[in-house]
Amino acid sequence: MKKFSLLLAVLALVSTASAQKLVIKGSDTLGAKLVPTLAEEYKAKNPAVSFEIAAEGSTTGIAAIIDGTAQIGMSSRRAKTTEVSAAQAKGVTMNPIIVAYDGIAIIVNANCPVKNLTKRQVEQIFAGDITDWSAVGGPAGKISIYTRNTSSGTYSDFKDLAMKKRDYASSSQKMAGNEQITSEVGKNPNGIGYVGLAYIHDAGIKVVSIEGLVPDKASVLSKKYPYARPTFYYTNGDATGEAAKFIEFTLSDEGQKICEKIGFVSIR
Amino acid sequence: MKFSLLKKSLGVTASLFISSAALLAQDSGPLIDLLVKKGVVSDQEAEVLRVELQKDFAVNSSAGKLNLSSSLSEFKLSGDIRMRHQIETQAPSTATGSSLVTNERVRERFRFRFNGDVLLQKGWGAGFALETGQAADSGNQTFGGAAGSGSGNDDYSIFLARAYVSYNPNLNWSFSAGKFKQPLYTTDLVWDADINPQGLTETYKYFIGSKDTFEIRALQNIMEDRNESTVGLLGRDAWLFTQQAVYTHYFGKDLLNSVILAPGFSKYNQANIGFSANENTFNGPTRGLSIMTFAGEVNVANVNGAGTAFKLYWDSAINNDADVRVNEVYGLSSTRWKSDRSAWLAGVGYSYGTGKVQGDYSAKLDYRSIGLGSLDVNTSDSDFAFGFLNQAGYKLALSYNVTDFTNFNVTYFHTSDIQKNLTYSLAARDHTQLLQLDLVVKF
Repeated sequence: MKKFSLLLAVLALVSTASAQKLVIKGSDTLGAKLVPTLAEEYKAKNPAVSFEIAAEGSTTGIAAIIDGTAQIGMSSRRAKTTEVSAAQAKGVTMNPIIVAYDGIAIIVNANCPVKNLTKRQVEQIFAGDITDWSAVGGPAGKISIYTRNTSSGTYSDFKDLAMKKRDYASSSQKMAGNEQITSEVGKNPNGIGYVGLAYIHDAGIKVVSIEGLVPDKASVLSKKYPYARPTFYYTNGDATGEAAKFIEFTLSDEGQKICEKIGFVSIR
Repeated sequence: MKFSLLKKSLGVTASLFISSAALLAQDSGPLIDLLVKKGVVSDQEAEVLRVELQKDFAVNSSAGKLNLSSSLSEFKLSGDIRMRHQIETQAPSTATGSSLVTNERVRERFRFRFNGDVLLQKGWGAGFALETGQAADSGNQTFGGAAGSGSGNDDYSIFLARAYVSYNPNLNWSFSAGKFKQPLYTTDLVWDADINPQGLTETYKYFIGSKDTFEIRALQNIMEDRNESTVGLLGRDAWLFTQQAVYTHYFGKDLLNSVILAPGFSKYNQANIGFSANENTFNGPTRGLSIMTFAGEVNVANVNGAGTAFKLYWDSAINNDADVRVNEVYGLSSTRWKSDRSAWLAGVGYSYGTGKVQGDYSAKLDYRSIGLGSLDVNTSDSDFAFGFLNQAGYKLALSYNVTDFTNFNVTYFHTSDIQKNLTYSLAARDHTQLLQLDLVVKF
């Protein structure tokens, strides 16, 4: 009888533990550094909660909310009308929550002498109209373009914000995450790419100003920096249970301090 | 949660927007941005409002009712309609001493193509293409010539010209299965540009330096499906296997010039084709076709100011089994006719722009020679000499962009026979001419 009671107790514990599991999917910009850090801090205060975080791009985060395979979808872009429509058809109510602000920084190799670009030059470089650094005041050399892949919110945000929705140059190389971009640009003297603010201090790269503006707290909050954007959690309607508590933690003073520490701009 | 209250209040605001004009949903982005800028609503309130308007768009507009899969990353619809005025001259070969008859024909034709290509997540893709014209080597439909119809004034059929799935696990590898766009680097000497191969294709791309590439491309093209319950060749599927290496090198100022070198090899399995339906087709054994190819081009940019380019291009094919093909498969006497194993093409081109902007133009002129035993008529171009073997001549192609999306093209072919008085059905032309005047609108 004692053994049976013990078994029941263990089963109860296991079921409680699984009920406390929070599945978060989506943006690499949020999910590579910020959300794991927030989750660690949250878990320190709530040891019974476990996290499953998959950072494979904003599209996967929004799809996960529509498909019901995550409680929170991370996204560095807004849900598209087609996604909201698909959600609606499945009875899912897309609920956006701004987590923090970000600026998409244009990065080049640390040894590249180019310090500033115009918005037009950025568009022309990434669309493939300008192919050599000499056209923008640098030494002669074929420009190597590194972008995110098509699942990325940053990939589509950048097309909207910087490229007038044009297609990327066919020669551009598509990377799975921000860290891969900083790594490639850091190794390639002719490289150029874009990353979220949390990645601008990686080794071997530097940030180029855009028409004199660098992405920092002031320029992002004032929206003067041309590639400033909010980042989001998406939920199905109002979040409940542990997901609601985790969102509340993210938006709390403590959570927002973590956002600042990682490199994002706080919503406060 | 505090967002519930926020959402309820914003729902009222949103409904005011919505009830005033549902179509506003699609265009409300700048207005919401302005409200944020003026401090009327916060960023968070604006985001909730955007979603409310998007939901309304989904319910109250026809476009919003499109329910596309959430796994879609991109859905591209494209196509073109071409109007063609075509003047043909064909003079069938005659035995020595007989007089030539020249047949002339004028046709008004059109071609409609509609393509759908989707990019899915995790490197997967799929697509289709619909077009007029059932023949693999032509999407043309002659006005007043509806196939299978008792009346020339009837409507026309649409056919499935492509249906494929693709998988690109990374930048280096790509795979496709189905009926897809030509994956090989080639010219219309060997492959008619209208023919979409079917079966499987694989490409490995190796990046060299900042821009150069070296690719291995392979195609397993099923030419005909046979019922295996029939014993022997007639019960064996016919497959064409092609392998190709493609090296692309960029050079010169800003690396704008390029050279492409593409050697390849094609061979059929031992089978029998019975139902090929190209312009000039061969139905019979696949034996005697082991074709080595070498194609390429040199492009020199900005030769006469920005945007101009000069191109030198070529293609060639040598059929190692030409004797078998001509003497045994075609049944032509080796004492009377040369097997003529080689085909080649050399051309020059000059262009301004990329053919996508109003005012862009291009001109290309090539000379080509197609030996009796050199090529497979089931894949070679059906316009040059109407697909006949044993022909040499030139092709002139001019194109001008009337608008960004409209081209006016002139194409002229002139060919004559290499070996005289050859009346074998695949090579039975003394000379040919073809003039095509095209107006193409792309969308």
